[in-house]
Amino acid sequence: MSEFEKLRIVIGYEFLKHIRRKRLYVILGLTVIAELAVLILVPVLGDGFPDNIMVMAALLSVGPSLAGIGAIFFAGDAIAGEFENKTGFILFTNPVKRSTLVIGKYLACYAAVALLVILGYVIVTISLLAIYGSVPIETLSSFGLCLLYAGSILSVTFFFSAISKGAMGATVITLVFIMVISAIIDSVLAMTGQPHWFMLSTNGDAIATVYGGYEAFMEGFGGGGGMMPFEMETPSVGLSVLSMVLYLGVGFVLSLFISKRRQLA
Amino acid sequence: MREPIVIEKLTKYYNNFLALDNLSLTVSANENVGLLGPNGAGKSTTLKILCGLIRASSGAAYIDGVDVAGKPEQALAKIGAIIETPEFYPFLTPEETLGYLGRLRGMGGDELKRRIKEVIALVRLQDWSKVKIEKFSRGMKQRLGLAQTLLHDPPVLILDEPGLGLDPRGVVEFREIIESAGKEKTVFFASHQLVEVTQICNQVAIIDHGRLLAYDSIAALEKKYKSLESAYLELTEAPLE
Repeated sequence: MSEFEKLRIVIGYEFLKHIRRKRLYVILGLTVIAELAVLILVPVLGDGFPDNIMVMAALLSVGPSLAGIGAIFFAGDAIAGEFENKTGFILFTNPVKRSTLVIGKYLACYAAVALLVILGYVIVTISLLAIYGSVPIETLSSFGLCLLYAGSILSVTFFFSAISKGAMGATVITLVFIMVISAIIDSVLAMTGQPHWFMLSTNGDAIATVYGGYEAFMEGFGGGGGMMPFEMETPSVGLSVLSMVLYLGVGFVLSLFISKRRQLA
Repeated sequence: MREPIVIEKLTKYYNNFLALDNLSLTVSANENVGLLGPNGAGKSTTLKILCGLIRASSGAAYIDGVDVAGKPEQALAKIGAIIETPEFYPFLTPEETLGYLGRLRGMGGDELKRRIKEVIALVRLQDWSKVKIEKFSRGMKQRLGLAQTLLHDPPVLILDEPGLGLDPRGVVEFREIIESAGKEKTVFFASHQLVEVTQICNQVAIIDHGRLLAYDSIAALEKKYKSLESAYLELTEAPLE
């Protein structure tokens, strides 16, 4: 039996795990709520929907970007859970490579996250069609960036899951790393005019800024670029892609390496 | 070197703690060997190294001639193992769990379905076969643990306290199942229960502080020390140099 066949089996059962867990449906619900909030609050609090379709598309991209949160909650226990819950005593005594198990878990997590992204963009597309009668081509780029962003977050979470003793610890560390530490460093770099294209939080912004930069996005809140407390240059999409590919690749390779070496004592 | 289990000069440190000290022993085909020793003697460490869960600091372990550290997948294909109290994915049922593990071992189709039914019946979980494991007690998980060791009909069983958490009926049933399996398989079996070991095994290895103190047939040990219990108590109370 080839490792590829084993990988297919691992993906199947790991995906079943996500389908049977409540957290998938909670994040799906949050995605729908986020999109509804934009669709209701923007016209109510502003002067109807923005004239510029790009602004509305950028605002609606907040829903699919929740896939990043989903990735953290899906993957936090992927590796740490096998050690903490001792399910590894059963799984790891089977004739299957650790790397096959980790890759299978990663791909199953990614499939669950992709479900969230797809749902988000279905809502974006239907909403834009209903309001403006068209969908900008940039939505496709935003969709691709969102998938890449989710993959990079997943890799970072897998890395923390591989080095953490417990699943909760891995989830919290990843949340703090991405939502707090990365965001703070990102803001400081941006405020001081330093390059910040390599920060994950900046990379996530690319999902919305692909529609026309920070200025277009802030216009959605009625203030235009003037709402920015400081001059903030929109990082290039190309550099954001490069950064996310690096996070995805390095995080994943490190999690594979650590998982293979980790002992179940 | 085609003995089912060969342990060669195994040494294992957990930081500065010496868990195994140059341990060597060989289990021949169709022998049922009990691994006895006090808490912290190194029993679980030995079995975990054999199952590829941890790495030895030095020395080697072989399953059917295959180096566990060098070719773990090839070595693990020959064994069925229960290490500590088994835990399973709570979102799966026993049928799904055994389906997953069976497929990972290359089983499939009607053969796998038939075998799943057989082992579930053997450990008396028929009424729970479609219930999610999140509802299972410790004893029920232990039963499922034994079912998964026998699922692929491996030639070698490595069992670490398999009776732990079972009610008295469960202990007797387990003993009968392992005893029956032991007629055709090699069983390497760690336990604190001397009675259980006596009924299942024909040989015992007694270890303490990671060292092998005795490895002989139960009959020979009983002859030398009057009883297995006396042998165990006498050997394990002696201070080590």
